[in-house]
Amino acid sequence: MTEVYDQGLWPWFVLIFFGFLPSEVWRMLSVFLARGIDESSPWLAWVRAVATALLAGVVGKLLLSPNGALATLPLWGRVGPLAIGMIAYFAIRRSIFAAIVAGEAAIIAAGYWAG
Amino acid sequence: MQNAAIWRTVASMSGAAPLNDPPPSAEDAEDLGGRSRSSWFWDGARQALAGPMLVVSVSLLSVGGLARDAGFSVEIAVASTILLWAGPAQVLFFGAVAAKTSWPVIAFTISLSSVRFVPMVVSLLPIIRTKRTGLPTLLLAAHCIAVTVWAEGMRRIPLVPRDGRMAFFFGFSFVCFLGTSISTAIGFILIGELPRPLAAGLLFMTPIYFVAALTRNAKRPIDSWALVLGLAIAPLTEAFAPRGLDLLVLGVVGGTGAWLIQRALDERARS
Repeated sequence: MTEVYDQGLWPWFVLIFFGFLPSEVWRMLSVFLARGIDESSPWLAWVRAVATALLAGVVGKLLLSPNGALATLPLWGRVGPLAIGMIAYFAIRRSIFAAIVAGEAAIIAAGYWAG
Repeated sequence: MQNAAIWRTVASMSGAAPLNDPPPSAEDAEDLGGRSRSSWFWDGARQALAGPMLVVSVSLLSVGGLARDAGFSVEIAVASTILLWAGPAQVLFFGAVAAKTSWPVIAFTISLSSVRFVPMVVSLLPIIRTKRTGLPTLLLAAHCIAVTVWAEGMRRIPLVPRDGRMAFFFGFSFVCFLGTSISTAIGFILIGELPRPLAAGLLFMTPIYFVAALTRNAKRPIDSWALVLGLAIAPLTEAFAPRGLDLLVLGVVGGTGAWLIQRALDERARS
């Protein structure tokens, strides 16, 4: 059973103790934080706004300091396709699908253009 | 048992569930909109399959490749999707391992990045649960909440009758788990063989989808303002806020700003 020490259980241990648990603790804690809040609570509007702003921030971060293949594109090559996607969204009956197709087409084109 | 609802949901997956809507009975005190729980479960599954599952699956393709680069097996890559259930945390995790970051620092960074689940869980859970929902069900539901499930759930779940919501939510989430598990494995096998512009396209899936979905979710000015402020503040917190805390600062500042704007608008409407 020597391979247990080399490979077998070590990656699982690492994933659970340094990945899963540090992340999951927030979800579990939130279950208790959510206890006193019902659907009509005024707090809910604030919490929801914070969550929305946070998500928008995640997007901003992904585009401003990208990693991997996205980092090979200049800033205009990342922000431009987002704008094109959103123009398609509004032009085509508020369709998320249209936004994705147009944005993806734009960024792939930008990739070949810049590359 | 308080958590009977979840077992009923899981048990009904085994088949016998009627897909046709049964007639609503007068003595049925539960608010299921005249349908069975399993019917709502499959409705959630169907709605996920019709789009969100594909988007979230595509966005996790790259995680499989990162896991392989960091020297992990395909089982660990897929397990990270099911356990962490957070694309950015997985990217951080495998990226940090590949960069030989120390374990406590990795755990700390992951934990910081997952603070963003707090407002998501706290805002979505009160919409899904009923008074009878037991703790194990709530904990499992909280685990299922990630960005895609949250953004789609905030829009779709209020349309479902109260007692069908948990079933709908699990149907929706489980399909997302299934799709992303498969795509993580596919990404593990394929990545590195993709031309760079296509790889960039995969990574771009998350930003374009989030912005479009959040725009679609926006019903009141507060929602649009939260989105706009979040995007606008991002360059500032990126530059000035302490590393790791930048998103949290951004969320609280942007969210509070949007909330204040809505309050001012409400007051003006009242006077």
